[in-house]
Amino acid sequence: MGIFDWIRLILGCSFIICGLVIFFTEIFGVFHFQYVLNRMHATAMGDTLGIASCMLGLVIFSGFNMTSVKLLLIVVFLWFASPVSSHVLARLEVATNENLESHCKVYTDLETLEKEPADTTAVSASETAQQPGTGGKEL
Amino acid sequence: MIYHYIYIAVLIILALMLFPCLLRAIKGPRIADRLVSVNMMGTMVMVMIAILALLLDEGYLVDVCLVYAMISFLAVVVLTKVYIGIYEEKRQATDDQKSTEEGGMSDGNF
Repeated sequence: MGIFDWIRLILGCSFIICGLVIFFTEIFGVFHFQYVLNRMHATAMGDTLGIASCMLGLVIFSGFNMTSVKLLLIVVFLWFASPVSSHVLARLEVATNENLESHCKVYTDLETLEKEPADTTAVSASETAQQPGTGGKEL
Repeated sequence: MIYHYIYIAVLIILALMLFPCLLRAIKGPRIADRLVSVNMMGTMVMVMIAILALLLDEGYLVDVCLVYAMISFLAVVVLTKVYIGIYEEKRQATDDQKSTEEGGMSDGNF
């Protein structure tokens, strides 16, 4: 094997291992978080960065041909489809959960949400400082 | 030859990673948990199909992977719409039941 073959092997392997680590982080996040809207963060990371890293490694292995173009096309499609499916799943959760207020703060209209951060940043910071144990998991 | 072993190793690791996803799909307390984990499994299976395309040197498997991505996206969207519809229908039914019960009570009172 020449020097370029070794470079290709090491580069592709590092991309694929990076993708596998991201998939493992995704699974860890799904089991670590307590609520669906938190778990969605972890799965969105795997859907975009994890598969992009794996496909990039496979493209490096495959070289310049039609297969590489199709692999990149899958990644581009997933970058469009994954946010849409996450949004639709979040809408399902918000529409069907009857005690949503026990999991997260709900703003019924947009005006209060826009007004809120200006005058309550200090208050919310002090609140989270008062309850350091529960602040991270409840949100 | 060394690529062959790399592909096999990655396939085995991904297949082992599929089991925790399946566990979450079984355990998930809400329906959105199950859909999220099924979506995650779909992503991993896409990588597996792409690796198989290079391992077996069959270009058409990449097309299969693309179609799989589209169908898994479509499945999530359609199942979400179906479950929202089921929930709305159930709530409508309970509301109707409540209103009829109230109507009966008022009839008895007056």
